[in-house]
Amino acid sequence: MKLRPILIAILAFIGMIDALFLSIKRNAGPIPCHVTHGCTDVLTSKYSEFGGIPLSWLGLAFYVTVFSLAVFTVFENPKKDSGLPLRTIFYLSGVGLIISALLVGIQAFILKAFCEYCLLSAALVLSIFLLSPHPVRHTVPE
Amino acid sequence: MFFASFFFKKFSDGEECLRYYEGMPKALKPVIVIILAVAVAAGAAVFLSRQPDQPGQSSAAAPLPADIKSGGHFRGPENAELTLVEFGDYQCPSCAAYHPFVKEILSRYPNRVRLEFHHFPLITIHPNSMAASKAAEAAGEQGHYWEMHDALFEFQKQWADRPDPKPVFAAIANRIGINGTILVQTMESPALQQRILKDVEQGDQAKIQAVPTFFIKGQQVYIKPSIEDFVQVVEANLRK
Repeated sequence: MKLRPILIAILAFIGMIDALFLSIKRNAGPIPCHVTHGCTDVLTSKYSEFGGIPLSWLGLAFYVTVFSLAVFTVFENPKKDSGLPLRTIFYLSGVGLIISALLVGIQAFILKAFCEYCLLSAALVLSIFLLSPHPVRHTVPE
Repeated sequence: MFFASFFFKKFSDGEECLRYYEGMPKALKPVIVIILAVAVAAGAAVFLSRQPDQPGQSSAAAPLPADIKSGGHFRGPENAELTLVEFGDYQCPSCAAYHPFVKEILSRYPNRVRLEFHHFPLITIHPNSMAASKAAEAAGEQGHYWEMHDALFEFQKQWADRPDPKPVFAAIANRIGINGTILVQTMESPALQQRILKDVEQGDQAKIQAVPTFFIKGQQVYIKPSIEDFVQVVEANLRK
């Protein structure tokens, strides 16, 4: 049972919905928060895009890639399992984790407002990173 | 290319062909799962994004109470066909981003549209928002509420993160032609705070969840931060 890639795929699927939701809502007027305060402030700030590309689009690309890699791992023949997709997820989510930490810091210290959808995304990236096996540990023969 | 090699193998090697035939669905399975998942996620996101836009949903703001006109500041002709009600926070960056579009609408429809502004300072995330609302009210005591209202949004970055924004408010007041020292003294008046809190109470009753929140004819309207969208919403409501 390939539990890890299945769990990663589920988390990435939730991330896809989150990123798509934010992409749709971003330019649709004030965005209501249900848990935190300041979703509109965060999502209309200058930090909500990078090089003119909304971060929600970049997040969507990340989640679709991770989801695809996880699904390919699930369907991969265990005898031929190279471990490459999971290693790629590990490195991708590592970069995603650093970016998420920066964005949470911007929310806390610069914008002083939190967007619950962005916090959910950060939690998903952290969970994916923790679930993806460390490549060194993964390749050590038992 | 794939099909060409497939047919070539089919005629050249029967066993090889069988392996290809069996392998095709296996390779396609993950691709089909990925496409289906992206489609389902897109559908779910569209469904969720439309939820608050539907009137009557618990997450959307409730219709404004009938006594809403007991507070707020008006800008524009009293007999205007349409009143755009805004609940805003002077320290909120998105309120500042919407401000030029609201002003533009008032200048495009000088005789048909008026603005009714209500304070809704989110003091937990915007520590200077209450002081800014008091500064606007204090300027109003000197007969220059709207000049201060505009200036607070336009110079928001200069006072928003200050531990004590009052010197900036005084400087802004002097710049718009009113006495800054008197403005700061007037800000201490409990009557001003009561006026602001009355607005906040009305906003709470309307279950406002974000700022700025706009209402037309008692119903919340969702307007994108663009002049095209503002014009579209105003035109649609003027025709009603």
